Amino acid sequence: MDFEEEKHGEVVVGLVSGRVDGLAAPEFEQYLNGIVERGDKDVLLDCSGMDYISSAGLRALLVGARACQQNGGNLALCALKPECKKVLEVSGFFAFLESFDTREDALAAEQDWVGRGA
Amino acid sequence: MLTLVEEIVLLMIDEKGSFIPVRETAVDYSIAGATLMGLAFANRIDTDSEHLTVIDSSPTDSALLDRALTLITSSEEAKLPSAWIEVLATDEARSMREMALDSLIEQGILERSGSTFMWVFERVRHPIIGDREERAVKRRIADVLLSDGIPEQRDAALICLADACGILPAIFSVQEIKKARPRIEQLRKLDLIGREMNGAIEEIERSIIIAMSHMPH
Repeated sequence: MDFEEEKHGEVVVGLVSGRVDGLAAPEFEQYLNGIVERGDKDVLLDCSGMDYISSAGLRALLVGARACQQNGGNLALCALKPECKKVLEVSGFFAFLESFDTREDALAAEQDWVGRGA
Repeated sequence: MLTLVEEIVLLMIDEKGSFIPVRETAVDYSIAGATLMGLAFANRIDTDSEHLTVIDSSPTDSALLDRALTLITSSEEAKLPSAWIEVLATDEARSMREMALDSLIEQGILERSGSTFMWVFERVRHPIIGDREERAVKRRIADVLLSDGIPEQRDAALICLADACGILPAIFSVQEIKKARPRIEQLRKLDLIGREMNGAIEEIERSIIIAMSHMPH
């Protein structure tokens, strides 16, 4: 699993690539918590390079999203591959997280999800 | 911190120290589910719908979880998460319930008392002597059900388990449960092991209903 990051205004855009499984999940969780700890609030995870997500990966994602929300921000997803999207859908994650088809869609709809935390 | 199995067992005990009336099969499956969830939260196993993988076979700080972990690591064949729930929802679940009771007694939360019933049977009760943990568990459940924020996965798992074995009515009124039902349904989906466990319980209950409908009146 790899991360790349850029900033778009106040939004941190993180590009996640590879498998988010039990071995990668602790690093994934650390990465998401690190964003919150350094004071950034809103995160868009570009999942176009994510090939697989397991239960441990989902758990890390939920921990990160909760941390963003508690910090007054929000975490959204974009460009999920169909297989990963299905896993998140079955797990009911879209009741808690916004998901967009593309990065451009997510950034264009910023006002709908940015700063929606506690 | 208590394990999920210990928390569920604690919630099953009423103020007199007796087990509240719940469906035994559902309890066995819930204890099996709680055990696997506990291993997942301890980063020992990982799952998807088709695999249960051991990612770390080192012991946890719970004898109960270690027993299940040993069983999984010593298995020669790979099994689906649903199959592991079936394996654990047997006498294993009864043993784990006993282990959880022993652990709760050791931690000073319960005590064991026996009395003779009908001059023959010994009735064992487990009165709660330290109710701080029980109140904390119930408060966590209430807090998550009453909010609409992103829950901690462990709290979502606890609600999923409590709902599966039918102990929520011992904590909340029928009206409160009815009001919280959409949130409960949302939380029940979050954990794959929880979904597999609920699927297995629903399948068994369906079979019982079918069997009963074929019984002569």
